[in-house]
Amino acid sequence: MATVLTLFGASVLVFAVLNILPGSPAQVILGTQATPASVRELTIKLGLNQPLPLQYLHWIGGLLSLHLGNSYISGQPIAPELGAALAVTGPLVALGLLFGLAIAVPTGILSALRHRRASGTWLAAATQVGIAIPNFVLGILLIIVVAVDWRLLPASGFIPWSQSVGGALRSLVLPAISLGLVEGAILSRYVRTAILGVMQADYLRTARAKGLPARRALVRHGVRNASVPVLTVLGLELSGLIIGAVVIEAVFTLPGVGSLLLSSVANRDLITVQDIVMLVATVVVVTNLLVDMLYRVVDPRLEVGG
Amino acid sequence: MGFDRAGWRFLRAGALLVAAALVLAACSSSPSPKTQPLKTLTIGSSNVFPPTLDLTANASQAIDEVIDYNVLQHLVELAPNGSIVPVLATSWTSSPSFGAPSSYTFNIRKGVRFSNGDPLTPADVVFSLKRVYAPGSTYPYTKIFDVSSVAAVGSDQVRVTLQSPSWEWLYNLAAYSNGVILDPSTVSSMATDPIGTGPFKVTGETTNYSVSLARNNLYWGYKPNVAGVVFRYFTNPNDLNSALQSGQINMIDNLSTPQDLKLFKSNPAYRVIAGLTNGKVQMTLNNAYGPLQNKLVRQAILYATDKQAIIQAASGGYGLAAGSDTVPADPFYLNLSNTYPYNPTKAKQLLTQAGYPNGFSLSLTLPPYFYAQLAAPLIVSELGAVGIKVTVSTIDFPLWISQVFEGGDYQATIIDHAEGRDIGNYGTAGYYWHYAQTSQVAQELTAANAAPTEAQWVAGYRKVLRQITADAVNDWIYIIPELTVAQKDVVGLSSTAYTESFNLTYVGIGGSVPASARALGYTS
Repeated sequence: MATVLTLFGASVLVFAVLNILPGSPAQVILGTQATPASVRELTIKLGLNQPLPLQYLHWIGGLLSLHLGNSYISGQPIAPELGAALAVTGPLVALGLLFGLAIAVPTGILSALRHRRASGTWLAAATQVGIAIPNFVLGILLIIVVAVDWRLLPASGFIPWSQSVGGALRSLVLPAISLGLVEGAILSRYVRTAILGVMQADYLRTARAKGLPARRALVRHGVRNASVPVLTVLGLELSGLIIGAVVIEAVFTLPGVGSLLLSSVANRDLITVQDIVMLVATVVVVTNLLVDMLYRVVDPRLEVGG
Repeated sequence: MGFDRAGWRFLRAGALLVAAALVLAACSSSPSPKTQPLKTLTIGSSNVFPPTLDLTANASQAIDEVIDYNVLQHLVELAPNGSIVPVLATSWTSSPSFGAPSSYTFNIRKGVRFSNGDPLTPADVVFSLKRVYAPGSTYPYTKIFDVSSVAAVGSDQVRVTLQSPSWEWLYNLAAYSNGVILDPSTVSSMATDPIGTGPFKVTGETTNYSVSLARNNLYWGYKPNVAGVVFRYFTNPNDLNSALQSGQINMIDNLSTPQDLKLFKSNPAYRVIAGLTNGKVQMTLNNAYGPLQNKLVRQAILYATDKQAIIQAASGGYGLAAGSDTVPADPFYLNLSNTYPYNPTKAKQLLTQAGYPNGFSLSLTLPPYFYAQLAAPLIVSELGAVGIKVTVSTIDFPLWISQVFEGGDYQATIIDHAEGRDIGNYGTAGYYWHYAQTSQVAQELTAANAAPTEAQWVAGYRKVLRQITADAVNDWIYIIPELTVAQKDVVGLSSTAYTESFNLTYVGIGGSVPASARALGYTS
């Protein structure tokens, strides 16, 4: 119920904000040489002369029946275009998350285990540096070093999945690292804190006292308990990754959802912008729902509500 | 402690995972190049990705760049040297035989087929030209079409009757996308697959990334020496430059940041073509706003602007100083760029004379384009030196159109008026610079177009040019060049950019270009 209300609120907000944005789609389409009569005609053809509440209902009704509508600018259905963009951004965010986790979990645990030792301090400091680097700066650095100097991976662009799966993956490696490293550094701090908390818990001491080796005690009793707060942060991080993807796609000229969003704003293709923002909102809301559900799997005590 | 070893193992596992992914990705598949006689030309474009491929439904220049001339052809087209050449018409006559033409009869080329195999007929030509001014037309340049009827004559001719006699109509048909000839059965799918008679056909597109063309094997004319052409789109100039340097692309259509020219200029692996355009970069002055209503104030602004310094800053020294609304390709071209030579002292005198001895404040509203952003700081300091305090703000282009261009809610702006022979804007009522003599100019332009001889038409247009310059309607700064950078072996490029099309009719990778094409201004 809360989920539906959140999405409804988001849709009203998005629609309202975009429709007070100055600049008419019809004028952008027809350009500076157009006659006022043809601009008026196109405005009517696009349905932009209708009262706003009616336009809203038309749009939201379409969304509910899974019709994303046609782009104002190209007149083409938005769904296939958005699908093609998702085929870039989806894997990019997933890979970014994977890189993030691959960095966060080991460094987080290690810096917890080694805290108050030089190596642990160094690790903690390194993650601080990771947090401080904006992802686009990292992206540009990676382009210069890995793509231009070493020529290991392409500097920019994207080879479609249908053409070459390996090529598509190669195109996504540097963007995913730029995206994942920073998120991973942030996550690493939370993993560290969570593990530190668990290590001081009574049940871990008990487990060791009854003879379990340290490593197995941590894996069997510690990790599950430590994962509750980490899961919360992970849900929030996923939204961060999606936002970050908009920036990273621009740095690496990837034809993903972020690029589509930016070009649609520039073209005043409002309906495409609305659809994309709603999609992102839905992903974020659903992710949070999934995180809530995962809590109960990880920690059955939460099921009883007490 | 046992913890430590476990921790290191975790870390090692994570590091290995990252490393393995990197290696895997780096090794897997670099597609093996097949040995083909013809290569594909990849053009890095600084344009936006075309919002649609239907150039009759959207004004974006990015569509014309790819589709016009290359995929869709006109009866007549503009060659790089500025001459009007026969394409889908083999020849034409105009009537009356004395005086300004009021109708044209075109002989339609025989044996031409569209890329889908349909033959070109006079009926297709009639359909296409009538579509420009049909009710509900979305052609971006209907305003300058001015046709009253189109009809087939006999089996291989088409006659076009104009609304009023004009010396300009044939040029407009050649240069503007109004002139494209379409296959009537395919117009409903033009947004993704425009079918034409040109040397190339569209084979695919990836939104915000690329548009691919292949050589049209049914093409009636010279077959370009490439298998196909891919336009790839880049959002920032650095990516574009490094893509050319690393060989991902063969050429850049237009370097939007001329200061980067130094990367390529002295390198023998590349050729740089600085082709003149129709683009007049000007500081548009709102003649209806406060101090700018006064002609002396506008003249003072023109005296205070150092055109050469701005060309250096904004265009890397390429480009030609402008002094009115005209470019060298115009038959009526006049070099008026020295009417107001850079002279701050004179500017101050004029301001005093106009009643502004201490200057005034002026807001400059800019579109987000490089040339405007690069020119603005100089203009701010030059106008500041004569007492005009300029404040700058930048807005996105849709907002620029609605606020500045449509709403007239601005004091001054910097913009490239890219259309060819657009002097008619000075006679358009309510045009955004609000010139006081608009209706008088309109009458003079109409009279000139109806003049009995071409020489009188030219004289009439020159009179208007002199008048708008004397009135200092706008601060014309320079004619913007198109800076094309290509690998040395790319041949047959246009030496100018007088159309919105990126003309690929004679393009090739290696090989030679016919002498007839070189004579028209294609590079060898």
